[in-house]
Amino acid sequence: MGIKFERVSYQYQGIDQRGYLAIGDINLSINAAGEFITLIGETGSGKSTLVQHMNALLLPTEGRMKLFGLTIDKNTKKNKKIKLNPIRKKVGLVFQFPEYQLFEETVLKDIIFGPKNFGVSEEEAIKRAKKMIEVVGLDESYLSRSPFNLSGGEKKRVSIAGILAMEPDVLILDEPTSGLDPMGRNALLEVFYDIHKTLNKTVIIITHDMNTVYEYAQRALVMREGVLVYDGDPLQLFSKKNIDNWNLETPDILALSKAMETKFDITFSTPPRSRKALFTEIKEVLK
Amino acid sequence: MKNIVIGRYVPGKGFLYDLDPRTKLIALLVLMAATFIIDELIHMAAAILLIGVILVIGRISVKRVYLGLRPLLFLLIFTFAFQILFNTQGDLLFETPLYYSPITLGLVVVIVLIWGFTKRFIKFKLLYFLATVFLSLFVLNTFTEPLVFATGTFSIYEDALEMALFIMLRLIIIVTLSTILTITTKPTDLNLGLESVLKPLKVIRVNTEEIAMIISIALRYIPTLLDEANKIMLAQASRGVDFQEGKLKEKVMQIVSLLVPMFIISFKRSDELANAMEARSFIPGHPRTRLHLLTWKTLDTVVLVVSLTLLISSISIRVFL
Repeated sequence: MGIKFERVSYQYQGIDQRGYLAIGDINLSINAAGEFITLIGETGSGKSTLVQHMNALLLPTEGRMKLFGLTIDKNTKKNKKIKLNPIRKKVGLVFQFPEYQLFEETVLKDIIFGPKNFGVSEEEAIKRAKKMIEVVGLDESYLSRSPFNLSGGEKKRVSIAGILAMEPDVLILDEPTSGLDPMGRNALLEVFYDIHKTLNKTVIIITHDMNTVYEYAQRALVMREGVLVYDGDPLQLFSKKNIDNWNLETPDILALSKAMETKFDITFSTPPRSRKALFTEIKEVLK
Repeated sequence: MKNIVIGRYVPGKGFLYDLDPRTKLIALLVLMAATFIIDELIHMAAAILLIGVILVIGRISVKRVYLGLRPLLFLLIFTFAFQILFNTQGDLLFETPLYYSPITLGLVVVIVLIWGFTKRFIKFKLLYFLATVFLSLFVLNTFTEPLVFATGTFSIYEDALEMALFIMLRLIIIVTLSTILTITTKPTDLNLGLESVLKPLKVIRVNTEEIAMIISIALRYIPTLLDEANKIMLAQASRGVDFQEGKLKEKVMQIVSLLVPMFIISFKRSDELANAMEARSFIPGHPRTRLHLLTWKTLDTVVLVVSLTLLISSISIRVFL
């Protein structure tokens, strides 16, 4: 179960019949629960295309996928009997720009739009909306406002709440923290981490922020020119030599702790991944 | 949505690509007028032949032109059927009785149903449709004695056939000519040409520059907005909107969920574009210099003279012969 890619490629069809290969030969397996994954790569490396396959918005032009037991390949589109909607209930995808999905008169209506499409009753959906608006860091007074009079960050939060209210098994976020202030960004990341921890859900985040990758992720995926070049522990990723070739930068904490280790000739017992962990390690060393 | 052929520029080489857009625009108008003036079949045939020659010399694939014509097939069939059914002038060419009885009508219904269910598996849809129409007429033509409750006649008159043929040919010629224009001219060049062709309208205080600017911006944003629409559809699909199916009430909701973000994004984009233009000192109505200037060549003069000659000769044939 979960998400499995077997040699998946996707080609965008150009006007002049020449295709553009967005992702090529992807092999990937993601569990339906308990993973916290970050997906990184340059702009145009195929990250968004990849995640749009995970809830069957795009169907592979080569290879096949298994999404929660359902096999999907290039022939799936023609077969009218295969229903893709149930997959989209299981895999919630938040798009990068909230403008693409907000359309209702009030925030409340917009949040319950998703759940209602998947057959959740109105009362239950409203209950979820009230809960989720708090979860994303806004309060209930927002529910009666128009989604178009909100600031960029607030729109973003509302669009995230709209997907959270669908209660998907796997939550995918396409650059959820872009356009947010640092405080708001950290708070939102804590929310995703909390969802992952308490509800044991799989969360996949597309990000350009290496600090996020290093601090939260158990697993990092790196895309480069449509190819999955790395799949594994972020700790090992940043100790690799070729991160410069992949246009990734070293996370601040890692750079700092490395510098401290060489400068003061000390070794931390475990490499610290967050500011807090670094402080405890320093305390440990000073003792 | 991605297969719109009308109005799409296709890069290539040939004399049509070398022509000045002004020439092409004026020639298009002149030739269109000429097709409406000629009223004899032999002249129409000559016009079709001329188009063929243009396509061959200009090295434009007939397939592309056909793709441009395809959306018009329905209109063509409709006008043809309309003329045949309702135009009763001229000599009677063909007449046959039609018998309406439960059996024949039932058979027609069955034929139409079979056509409805199987049309998606047949490659030549138009031929299949015509075959269905003929089969239905044939069935209605069979005489089933005791049950016939009404009779009618199916008749074709000479004028109907002629009119239908003329309308069809004229439509084909006009669309082919416009397709040739858009295939061989970049939207920016076309716009530049339009602006300069419309210049005489300045006398009656029409701001042609602004009109041209509006048209070019609109053309520029068609692909962008299609792209945005696609993104919105994906975003809503991931919230459970199934654009393929659903009842009428759901369909309305689906369209609303697509249109509202579309409007908002369009307004936002136009606002941003206006700011960007102003930031680069665009002032409406002020004279501007151009990066690409139109150049008039001998070829342009030749083409213009030839098309004007065609128009004048078609007028003189109509008036004097």
